[in-house]
Amino acid sequence: MAVLTQVEKTYHLDSVSVPVIKGVDIVVRRACFTVLMGPSGSGKTTLLNMIGCIDKPDKGEVIVAGCKVGDLTDDALSDFRAQNIGFIFQNFNLLPVLSAYENIEYPLLLAGASSKKRGERVPKLLDAVGLGDKAKYFPGQLSGGQRQRVAIARALARKPKLVIADEPTANLDSETGAAILALMRQMVERYAVSFIFSSHDPDVIKAADDTIFLKDGTIHGIRRKDEETVP
Amino acid sequence: MMTLSLAVRNLLRNRRRSLATLLAMAIGSTSILLFGGYSTNINYTMHTEYVQNGGHLQIQHRDFYLYGSGNPTAYGITDYIKILAAIQNDEVLRNMVLVATPTLQFGGIAGNYAAGVSRTIIGNGFVAEDINRMRRWNDFGLRTGSPVFALEGAVADAAIVGTGVARVLQLCDALKITRCAKPEKEQKSDGKAIPDDIAQLSQQETPAASGAAGASSRRIEVLASNARGTPNVASLQVIRAEEQGFKELDEVYVMMHLAQAQKLIYGKSPTKVTSIMLQLRHSDQIPEAVARLVPILAQFSTSQPLAVLDFRTLNPFYVQTIQMFNTIFGFIFALIGAIVLFTVSNTMNTAVVERTVEIGTLRAIGVRRAGIRRLFVTEGMLLGLCGAVLGVVLALVLSAIANQMGLTWSPPGTVEPLPLTLRVWGETGMILSTTFGLICISILSAWWPAYRAARLDVVEALRHV
Repeated sequence: MAVLTQVEKTYHLDSVSVPVIKGVDIVVRRACFTVLMGPSGSGKTTLLNMIGCIDKPDKGEVIVAGCKVGDLTDDALSDFRAQNIGFIFQNFNLLPVLSAYENIEYPLLLAGASSKKRGERVPKLLDAVGLGDKAKYFPGQLSGGQRQRVAIARALARKPKLVIADEPTANLDSETGAAILALMRQMVERYAVSFIFSSHDPDVIKAADDTIFLKDGTIHGIRRKDEETVP
Repeated sequence: MMTLSLAVRNLLRNRRRSLATLLAMAIGSTSILLFGGYSTNINYTMHTEYVQNGGHLQIQHRDFYLYGSGNPTAYGITDYIKILAAIQNDEVLRNMVLVATPTLQFGGIAGNYAAGVSRTIIGNGFVAEDINRMRRWNDFGLRTGSPVFALEGAVADAAIVGTGVARVLQLCDALKITRCAKPEKEQKSDGKAIPDDIAQLSQQETPAASGAAGASSRRIEVLASNARGTPNVASLQVIRAEEQGFKELDEVYVMMHLAQAQKLIYGKSPTKVTSIMLQLRHSDQIPEAVARLVPILAQFSTSQPLAVLDFRTLNPFYVQTIQMFNTIFGFIFALIGAIVLFTVSNTMNTAVVERTVEIGTLRAIGVRRAGIRRLFVTEGMLLGLCGAVLGVVLALVLSAIANQMGLTWSPPGTVEPLPLTLRVWGETGMILSTTFGLICISILSAWWPAYRAARLDVVEALRHV
């Protein structure tokens, strides 16, 4: 689903250059639940941003859904993200002026989906994330877990091939976090979509198909459930 | 549609800030419209006054406007009766022209020999009935009416003078002018009657009036050079003094019947006039009327070059005044526009900072840079639209209240105080252009913050705290 080859990224802070990703090779498999594990500053979010096509590597190649995203213009990248990638953020990042229903509907509106199609798709997603009765609620009226469910539904609205989630359970209590994790796992199976998310929660590993261990911008190991650990 | 809905909701999100911005815009819009209504009323008042007194167009000898003040009678129009008839017979002009009336202007000296005083004057001969018809023109529906021209129905040798003329000629008591300061040492009259030579001249032209001349305290003698260059005198009975607005004019202006003026200047010779005033139904008919008049006048221009001048050319003071008010209006619009520009810009900049994460989110889920720009520009446009519309409503209400308060003011060149009218209602052009202008300024104000928002790096925006 996503292939990163010899990817490097350095941040420049004033006169200091900080290399955050150092020649990383990753393959994110289709319809798999992939977790990027590592301590803070290991480069998890930067890698996710590059896989999510909102950041570009300084060196190396990123291919997502068969497309070399480095060659795309900004507008083409926006369109590509809209069609192929869903995002779930740590802080949910819902639009506060839109209801749960409208937040999920928004990506469909961007795609120019008909009102009939939207009317079919949004309630299904709301039901799928267990918020069928909260359609008219605004983010401010929902709990953290409920907001994240709305965010998951929004990420899935356009049937993306890949969903990026940056520490989606970090701002949730353990019980809610576990429920969200279970929901995402369920979505992988239900919609055959690849999920890749970052976390340093050991419990998350149990739910993952693939786990990529990162440290100081390099890969320290990859564990796939159906394979042996690759050092 | 989604952009509009999102923009509206975003504006409602921080109601206090949006309301403060709206109020600033509304007050600005109201100020512009109230001043516009005030200057529009001045325009209409002056326009009406000039059209009532001089018509929309005047047919004159080509050089009368520039050189006629020195010797008006040298630029007289012959065959003016035929010209008037040609105008009346023209099927297009007939429907456009409300009044076509000849006038004669001349220079002379007016004397009150009983008081031993005299002064130079500008004499004007009018057809009184026509002047009264002209004074009824009120195409802008002004609340004030013009006084009746007192020469209508008056005796043949009747005259109206400026109050300045009456003051200098010491006619204030006779004419019962209340505000008429007398000099500290009033010039004493020696009580002598009109000198013999002047009396003889006067008798030649006005034999009927001369008998009463010495007796009446309202009589003046007007001495003028006739068409043959010899002096001639008319004895006139001043029936009224009217203030002319400007002191310079007030101290020289004398009006009489056209027949009287023609008798004074032309005697028994064929008479002429110095201009033919044409009053049209509507001011916007001027170009069409001029186009129609040119070939008609060409028929009479073989021996006398004739020209048609509109009231704007004849009254440069009007044009200058309107230009001055337009400049002030433009200056006020620019000032308020600048305030609106900075207010909306500040509001939008704050919104961009506050919603940086939201912008990052929108960009991440696939909104293009243009979409972000469109969202913020739409918010600016909505602020502009609502502020301007609110301003229009406020201006309409305030102008209606002000118009009902009965306030008066005296514009330059007018004698009687006029009702202070703020003409906002019905001025669709002004309302629309002000609204459109403020919306454009709002869009312009939002453009830079919108551009900045669209240029935000997605990752940086998502990291924003």
